[in-house]
Amino acid sequence: MTFLSEYIYYIGAFGLIFIGLYIVLVKKNLIKVIIGLSIIDTGINLFLITIGYIRDGTAPVFSKPGLKANEMVDPVPQALVLTAIVIGVAILALAISLAVKLYKHHGTLNLRKINEQKW
Amino acid sequence: MRKLFVILLLLIIAGGITLSLKEIPFGIPKTKIGDHFINKGVEETGSVNIVTSVVVGYRGFDTLGEITVLFAATIGLGAVIGTFRKNSVNREVEAASLIVYTGCRFLFPVILLVGTYIFIHGHLTPGGGFQGGAIIASAFLLMYLGCSNKRIKENLSKTVEMIGGLTFIAVGIIGLAIGQDFLFNFLPKGEPAELLSAGIIPIVYIAIGLKVGSELAGIIDNLIQKS
Amino acid sequence: MVNPVLLIVIPLGLAFVVPFFGFISKKIEKFIPFVALFFNLIVSLRLFPRVLEQPVHVSIGGFVPPFGINLVAGPIGILFTVLIALVGFLVSIYAFDYIKEKDQEKYHILYLLLLTGATGVVLTGDIFNLFVFFEILCISSYSLVAYFGDKTSIESAVKYLIQGALGSCLILMGIGLLYGQFGTLNMADLAGNIKSVHSVSIFVPLVLFITGFGVEAAIFPLNAWLPDAHSSAPSSISAVLSGIAIEVGLYAMIRVVFTLFGASSILTFLMLLGVITLLIGELCAFCQENIKRMLAYSSIGQIGLMLFALSIASSYGITGGLFQLVSHTLGKSLLFLAAGYMIYRSGSMNISSFEGMGKRMPYTALAFTIGAFSIVGLPPFIGFPGKLMIVKAALFEQEMLYTVLIFFILLATVIEGAYYFRVVQALYFKEEKNTQNQKREIAPLSILIPIFILTGFIVVIGIYPKLITDVLVSSASELLNRADYIKSVMP
Repeated sequence: MTFLSEYIYYIGAFGLIFIGLYIVLVKKNLIKVIIGLSIIDTGINLFLITIGYIRDGTAPVFSKPGLKANEMVDPVPQALVLTAIVIGVAILALAISLAVKLYKHHGTLNLRKINEQKW
Repeated sequence: MRKLFVILLLLIIAGGITLSLKEIPFGIPKTKIGDHFINKGVEETGSVNIVTSVVVGYRGFDTLGEITVLFAATIGLGAVIGTFRKNSVNREVEAASLIVYTGCRFLFPVILLVGTYIFIHGHLTPGGGFQGGAIIASAFLLMYLGCSNKRIKENLSKTVEMIGGLTFIAVGIIGLAIGQDFLFNFLPKGEPAELLSAGIIPIVYIAIGLKVGSELAGIIDNLIQKS
Repeated sequence: MVNPVLLIVIPLGLAFVVPFFGFISKKIEKFIPFVALFFNLIVSLRLFPRVLEQPVHVSIGGFVPPFGINLVAGPIGILFTVLIALVGFLVSIYAFDYIKEKDQEKYHILYLLLLTGATGVVLTGDIFNLFVFFEILCISSYSLVAYFGDKTSIESAVKYLIQGALGSCLILMGIGLLYGQFGTLNMADLAGNIKSVHSVSIFVPLVLFITGFGVEAAIFPLNAWLPDAHSSAPSSISAVLSGIAIEVGLYAMIRVVFTLFGASSILTFLMLLGVITLLIGELCAFCQENIKRMLAYSSIGQIGLMLFALSIASSYGITGGLFQLVSHTLGKSLLFLAAGYMIYRSGSMNISSFEGMGKRMPYTALAFTIGAFSIVGLPPFIGFPGKLMIVKAALFEQEMLYTVLIFFILLATVIEGAYYFRVVQALYFKEEKNTQNQKREIAPLSILIPIFILTGFIVVIGIYPKLITDVLVSSASELLNRADYIKSVMP
């Protein structure tokens, strides 16, 4: 049980990452692949946040007097996640727009059927 | 067959990562640079929100790159999607009911106000340019959904976006001229926890908020109008 | 005192204001990348002598590393910066007349962002900052590949985006694992703390990084996107993608392997991967009928050769690899630009449609021939000293494995020669089938000038390789001497 309580956050984060990877590698529908990429992003963001967490920590904001510095969580992963989220949004937006265009050209989103270019 | 192969591959990766994670126990005290930021952050950047002081102060260059990523995605989305589709499909949109219409028009300025509050107070409370920008963009999304006859003026949003980007870079270059370092905090840091404190951080966050807001609104606009 | 940060910030600022110039006149927009890259070229050339004496370190925001982000302009960084600015500058001239379709504004913004991202990747000294700039590079290249918006380009952009996004996720995961273990993001600080790569906990991030950057660098099992993407992008973009983007991917990978991890135990694996990439690329290129796909596969082969040379990890080998990199950047950009204009005129990408082009477009065809000879490695062009150095470096090692691999490399060069000569033969020695448009056509100046300048570089450096070997030797020593790098950033 101690193993679970120690690692449950990591298991959750990496569980999401692997679900996402599985979707991207196996599914045929482009929209599902994009959803998979998004899930991977979420998993990685959770993982980064988990790295920075300390037990019973508070947010690193000195909003009122009396907050102790050594009870605060690591601010760096939070800053990294902010960047990672924005990058994820950027990729997602671009992917969606490409999916729209792809559907207009081919009339399908099935990636196995779209194979005009080969080796 | 493919599924089996993929599962096998994922299991191998999972094994490797599990071994690697042993070195990162959960809930440990902070790391070297994290400690420094928490202990010295207020003093060095003047911002009581340490995440802000990391995002805009210590790692401000990342943030510049980040808004550039979003900018590239907006422009790329426009280039991909906005081709020869001016009036090909004339969609019949049923007008929203009076209640939705009025509600949207009532909420629109309030949401804008909240977004502005969040990015102006980025150095004091949780929040900042990206969050505020996203909220502002959501106001425009609401407007598109509820008041289908209203449109963003494209040139205006481009101008706001440009002003945001240029302000960030101008602030950085002034810092370079004054303090020998790009994005040097050349303004007085003031009293911590005051609205006018932390030097350039509020200015940069306002610039980011404007830029992110107009970029996300531009993405929404492109997706709704041209697809 | 010129600050290397200007190399990133000024083009970025100009990219932001392109719409403003668009309000004034749509005709000014296309000169903005030209101006920005000219500025970059001047600044990087002015930094050049200083960097050769001593690497220039700049911290951002007045915070010393590892707390702030720092830029490191070492010899290798400045070498890449000059290459990026030079090729980018020439291609921006080429685009004056070449890009006529729809949204020119967006093309120019994305083009500038792509090159800014590449400059950022080679200058930064912080692993997360490297990731951010890498994303700028990737996202702008996804959109530029899809720029034409037709069936094939959208399809290849989707392929590129899915694979590239997966690669980025892996890199981010690697960064997370490293941060969790060492609590810092500065590359020099990380490098100083990593003892060996034998421990599993460090090996996993290394593998994640190599896979992630390998997607962009198109190393063998991860190169499926490249021929599609490079062949369906506009030719000016193909030149930049082939000449700069994949090299920057390779740079990031090499920087991580050599400087960050100091991983000598994985080099043999990389070497084998390089030779496999080389053979696969050349063999596939041999079977192509489409000229741009052929050039794209040839790029895969050349990347493999560079990876092989760099992972010999002797001073001579790395110098050879970097020489090959410079020659590939110049040669492949030239080939794509020349081929792009011939495609524009003939309207087809098929090699057979190039028959008789030697008479119709003498200058472009001549430039294409010189580029092809240089890539194959014929003297007196720039490709020859590079390949010679690689072969010599491998033979110096005096091991059985290297000799066998050299055999494969020479075999690949023969294949390469075969398919390039096929094109040259089509250009000069075959009569055109339809005789209606046999008149000579001289390309506009904006197309000819960049082609001529690139040809000039190829010939001049080919005759005097000494012009650049000094820089390459000091770049090689920067890559090999980890301890110096760490000490110079973190005193």
